[in-house]
Amino acid sequence: MKKRTLFSKRNIVSALLAIGTFLVTVTSSVTSVKAETPYKTYTVDGYGSVQETQTAYLAYETITKFGDNFLSAPSDLCVTEDGEIYVADTGNARIVVGDINSNEIKTIGEGTLVTPKGVFVTDDKHVYVADRDAMAVFEFDADGTLLNTYTKPDSPLYGDELSFLPIKIVVNDAGIMFVICESNTNGIVEISPQEGGTFLGYFGTNFASTSLQTIIYRAILTDEQRAKMVSNIPSTPDNHAIDDKGLIYTVTRGDKESTIKRLNIAGNDLIDGTERYPEIPAAIAAGNHDNLYVADQQGFIYEYNNDGELLYVFGGLDDGTQRVGLSTLVSAIDVDTEDRIYLLDADKNQIQVYEPTEFTELLHNALYLYSKGRYTESKEPLTKVLEMNSMFDYANQAMGRAYFQEENYAMALKYAKLAKDYEGYSDAFWEVRNTWLKKNIVTAIFLIVFLWAAWKIIKYYDKKKNILAGPKNWWNKKKENTVISNLLYTKYFAKHPFDGSYGIAREGRASWIAPTIILVIFTAEFVINKYLCGFLQKTIREGRFEIFSDIGQIIIVVFALTACHYLVCTINDGESTVKKIYTYFIYSLRPYIIITPIIFILSHVLTENEQFLITLAQFVMIGWIIVLAIIAIKEVNDYTPGETFKVICLTVFTILIMALLIFIVYVLWAQVFQFISAIVGEVVYRLGY
Amino acid sequence: MATNIKKLIALGVLSAALTTYTITPAAGVVMASEQTTEAAAEGTETAETAEGETAEQPEAGAGAEANGETVNEDGEVIMEGATGKVAESEWITIDDYEMVAESDTYKMYYYEPRLSVILENKSTGKFLETTLSDELDDGASNTTWNAYMKSGIVLSAIIGTTNTYQVDMISTSNKIETTKIDNGVSAKIYWNEYKFGLTVNITLEGDNLVVNVPDDSIVEEKEGTYISTVSLFPFMGYTYMDDQNGYMLVPDGNGALIYLDNKEGRYSTGFSQMIYGTDAGFTDSSVSNYLWSKYDTVVDTNDIIAPVFGMAHTDDQLGYLAIVEEGEKRASVEAHPNGVMVNYNRCFAKFMVRDIYVQPLNQSNSGTMTSVEADRTHTDLQVRYMLLENEAADYSGMAVAYRNYLLDNNLVQIKDTGYNTRVDFLGSDREEFLMGTKSVPMTTTDNIEEIYSDLQSAGVSSLLSVYKGWQKGGIYNVPITSYKADSSIGGTGSLTSLIKNSADNGYNIYLYNDALRVNARTNTTTFNVVKKINKRTLKEEVNEQVYDLFYYLLPGKMQSTLQKFVKSYTNKGVNNLALAGVTDNIFSFSSQGSYYTRYDTANAVLDTVAGMDENVDLVLEQPFAYLWDYTDAFLDMPLGSSDYMYVDEEVPFLSMVLKGIIPMYSDYVNFEANKTEFFLQMVESGVYPSFYVTYENSSALIYTNSSDLYSTEYSTYRDSIISYDTELRAVANAVEGAHISDHEKMDNGVTKVTYDNGTVIYVNYTNESVSVDGLTVDAMSYQIK
Repeated sequence: MKKRTLFSKRNIVSALLAIGTFLVTVTSSVTSVKAETPYKTYTVDGYGSVQETQTAYLAYETITKFGDNFLSAPSDLCVTEDGEIYVADTGNARIVVGDINSNEIKTIGEGTLVTPKGVFVTDDKHVYVADRDAMAVFEFDADGTLLNTYTKPDSPLYGDELSFLPIKIVVNDAGIMFVICESNTNGIVEISPQEGGTFLGYFGTNFASTSLQTIIYRAILTDEQRAKMVSNIPSTPDNHAIDDKGLIYTVTRGDKESTIKRLNIAGNDLIDGTERYPEIPAAIAAGNHDNLYVADQQGFIYEYNNDGELLYVFGGLDDGTQRVGLSTLVSAIDVDTEDRIYLLDADKNQIQVYEPTEFTELLHNALYLYSKGRYTESKEPLTKVLEMNSMFDYANQAMGRAYFQEENYAMALKYAKLAKDYEGYSDAFWEVRNTWLKKNIVTAIFLIVFLWAAWKIIKYYDKKKNILAGPKNWWNKKKENTVISNLLYTKYFAKHPFDGSYGIAREGRASWIAPTIILVIFTAEFVINKYLCGFLQKTIREGRFEIFSDIGQIIIVVFALTACHYLVCTINDGESTVKKIYTYFIYSLRPYIIITPIIFILSHVLTENEQFLITLAQFVMIGWIIVLAIIAIKEVNDYTPGETFKVICLTVFTILIMALLIFIVYVLWAQVFQFISAIVGEVVYRLGY
Repeated sequence: MATNIKKLIALGVLSAALTTYTITPAAGVVMASEQTTEAAAEGTETAETAEGETAEQPEAGAGAEANGETVNEDGEVIMEGATGKVAESEWITIDDYEMVAESDTYKMYYYEPRLSVILENKSTGKFLETTLSDELDDGASNTTWNAYMKSGIVLSAIIGTTNTYQVDMISTSNKIETTKIDNGVSAKIYWNEYKFGLTVNITLEGDNLVVNVPDDSIVEEKEGTYISTVSLFPFMGYTYMDDQNGYMLVPDGNGALIYLDNKEGRYSTGFSQMIYGTDAGFTDSSVSNYLWSKYDTVVDTNDIIAPVFGMAHTDDQLGYLAIVEEGEKRASVEAHPNGVMVNYNRCFAKFMVRDIYVQPLNQSNSGTMTSVEADRTHTDLQVRYMLLENEAADYSGMAVAYRNYLLDNNLVQIKDTGYNTRVDFLGSDREEFLMGTKSVPMTTTDNIEEIYSDLQSAGVSSLLSVYKGWQKGGIYNVPITSYKADSSIGGTGSLTSLIKNSADNGYNIYLYNDALRVNARTNTTTFNVVKKINKRTLKEEVNEQVYDLFYYLLPGKMQSTLQKFVKSYTNKGVNNLALAGVTDNIFSFSSQGSYYTRYDTANAVLDTVAGMDENVDLVLEQPFAYLWDYTDAFLDMPLGSSDYMYVDEEVPFLSMVLKGIIPMYSDYVNFEANKTEFFLQMVESGVYPSFYVTYENSSALIYTNSSDLYSTEYSTYRDSIISYDTELRAVANAVEGAHISDHEKMDNGVTKVTYDNGTVIYVNYTNESVSVDGLTVDAMSYQIK
């Protein structure tokens, strides 16, 4: 009989990767062998687009009862450091305490509690229960003995007419309670335990957002109408959590980017808005690695880093297929010390436990090391994360920063670009450019001097022996060609718009061919600049090409501008023809033709700090174009300044009207089309084909 | 706790109802989708309501709340309007049955009014019942369900456009004529009210009970009244609550067991899946709950690969494996534990004969009407119950029985099952570039050569590779019409020589061909694409960047395209083909005014595959059972299940059946979250590992349709491939050519797999080393004896 182990010593090196997996699976118990999950895991890349990724958490265990205690419409849970699970078993009016193996430890508050909606356990195992219908917060000690009952604060600051309906509670190290009350929009009620409960004030108040629309409505509506409007009161946080540093996390439904908040003791939000937020947030929990978890009522679980950037989202709604890991009505979430997620389902009356995979553990580890400034160390887990998922942008970003700290700028540049980390890219680029300059500055100067000398020599010999006569003659001949002459005229037009306009109006400088060539060059430059400019200037996603629509848009704009402007001019005693209008609009783009190549080159050599040069160039360019166009309108049509202003406004207005008209025609046509297709569909069906 | 309100409360009911029913004011009826599981059982009340009247029938799950069903403290479900127990004097007992057939091992008794059969094991004297006996009737169900449970056959009828009328032997008036035939009876049944009928032949063939409904015996004499579904012996081998120890075997994934324990009323539905997957020709995009209204986070459930299910009473050592022999391509396997409507554990096959569907009337789908299929599916319906006794009455016994059945009936021949590690390659995909797309080459033929020589020098002696995305235009340029490799991966010539040269070294490259899908962007014509039963083009929309729409190729066209392709390919002396798409998808469709069933699709695939078998070495991706004989390898054998809550244990049933017959390859190791556990599962089930590899880093794929391949770089997986190869090749060699005779999960957490050559493999999934049979198996490890 030959004894075999999974990996013999001989190939232990080659098995390194697989062994890595052991470390994780060792923590899982045999009851939970579930390699597959019924849900996918997504992450968000640097462009904000959603990518599928490695399974982050596996469904681990489903707890339906503790001992013989089934749950009934449970609304909150709290997991302690030693793994005890406290559940606010609302339907049965008690707190049930158990462990992950469904063992009952105790029940608390039977007979005292009415509708326990929220539960919180402190480090010394004091249990705080927010009981809505008892209108009180109860504090029990570790044995379940009732210690204190906090009812409605009698402070006038609380608000006399407001009732006290506590539904969620957290308590900080000092014993100060943060209570969310139903139908209390002032914020989280902050109560100190002193003197049987002292009201300290409202905390983390949300602000009602006022849209421009609302402001306009308010200004024009009557009082009566205004009374009928949906009242614009701030929303109360739906749920909250507290971390070991005493920071309070809140989730508020419908607050869009500020759905998730991390509040310091002063009540200031430390998260600068989250782009990907849950639509119906049910609960929030603080993780062990400066991360946080938010559960959506529909079963989606979000994990964010401490900047509110989404790491993962997974889970989902059970549509009746009854699969492990999907939920129907999530009411609470918590995390234990082993990063296992506990999700309470008020509809299924169960707790679903998820455990992190190797991938997630590595990422947590890397994020932790990185946040502690141990960059080189963090590279090892990051490399493993990227081996498993090379498209995971947060790992790419952290990797880039780590390389930067190690002064490996080429690699830093590579990872920053992968992660779409502009800041990191810019910093790394500065260093790379610096190195390049140091290395090549002598050569560069030498080259410049050489070119300058060569030019001087050629010029000198030209003067003496006229060696450039041939090309010069050829060029002078070419200049006589109308098209080339017209093209060159754009330079004159750009420099001398008044005289230039006169040329267009009176000297036959208006043409079709020359402006069209300029337009083609403009389009080419526009497209090249848009798609091939430096990474920092790029407005469009790497790898995306919409050239067809770009060209289409340019043509439509030129056409609409020319046509509408012509219409307006003809009824305003303008002297220009369509040809002239086309010519002067296109000729006005001459600054773009000159400046864009400069911008294009700059975009490849400048860092983020120097971007203002590009902005400045763009500013000058646009200003120049506008000035040219206005002067041309005025001069070619022989308008007064007042008339010019009027014509410009009218042109803009005409374009808008035209767009509206086209839209209406489109909508009507769509209706007709749908009607016809419905009839055809019906006929086809009736005929049986 | 005195009472526990049934778990399924309002929201669950609502969502179930939402996805299943669409109310159309225009037609004034309620339409139920194909999954009206057992809605029929609820339907007799409505049978009495006027025809055409709006009648909303709750689904089995949804019915729980509507019925005011409650769960008592023993976990029993009590229905509103429960009939109560039958008085003992009125019991129908074995004495009322007539013995109609006898074999060496069993006696078959028959009771005509209920079309009920009882089998008596002659050696043990144990009984296996096919309908609920009065003695075991708990009286907790209403009359409709009571009639359902006591009938040997239950139908659902379509009247007008409603398909929720229950037709059974007891509550629906019928005429039954029984004639004796060889080894059994033939019962001709006619339901007067519905004016339709059929004949059921029940025969005892040795250890097998065969129930058959001949296609030509089905009569439907009333216009507008049709048979919708037929459930044969819906209570075959049932048990009450946790009266018996044992389990039901469901063919989910590789295999799953539902224990016959007390489910405490936790589940509103049980297992109910179409054999060979849902019918894409019928399904409409249902209302789903997407993340940010866009991303589907829920993974599809596994398709049923083999038409089997089973029941084992482990204490009585009695059980059966049921094989759906005829009509299986349009049937579902149903396995419901206690608490799903009634307090009995039951599994059976439900045949779909005719269905209703939604016909949209305009592009926006704002107007729809319900229609009934013009014709029923013409096929015999037949289930073979292979009765198992003594030690064989467990899932190992079922696997052995099924394997022997397959071999005895020549449904599959023994293939070369020698070990290979499977390393698949992605050639190229496309990303947007300027006005078109450009190739993103990931693994060229030169790269493969390099990888091969690297693996060879590392001691990997044989390999099976499926080369995906080799064709001109990249992996999603489908259908593939001729043998032309993309120039970015090296071109046709170098591909041909690569395949030939590597074959000499035992490295076999199979060219991947998804013969089902049509890329809507690279193929502008929609002339040859599949239209659903409602004549709408069948669209497969994917949320990807480059190609977001695919159609299905008409089976006839698929056949000719594939034949043409194979010809252009065998001409070059290459004959390895990995066929996908059509191997795990069958559907109904309409074409030029005619309707085609799943049988037509399956036959076209079968024809194609059989025609190619002579001159092509074929491997199929997750082939359904009817294709097994034509594949040299089973690619993508699932190792898990769909994670249903009511499933108590996953067992490698299919692997046990096919081990030693067809070499099986796993899903890709790359994307597994827990790799060690996955490795052990492969050891346990005798499945060979698969890797999906690219030469370039997978981040190059970020702007392509393959952006979900987040980790494929060869250098990352090189060491794993080599160590897996060494380990699993040794395991495979120890059991070369042998079959699995027994599989057991022992109490100490070790799984013991016994082969018929005497080899035993112990797999320890626990975190502690375990001593078993004189061996020590380390934590998360295995031993071979």
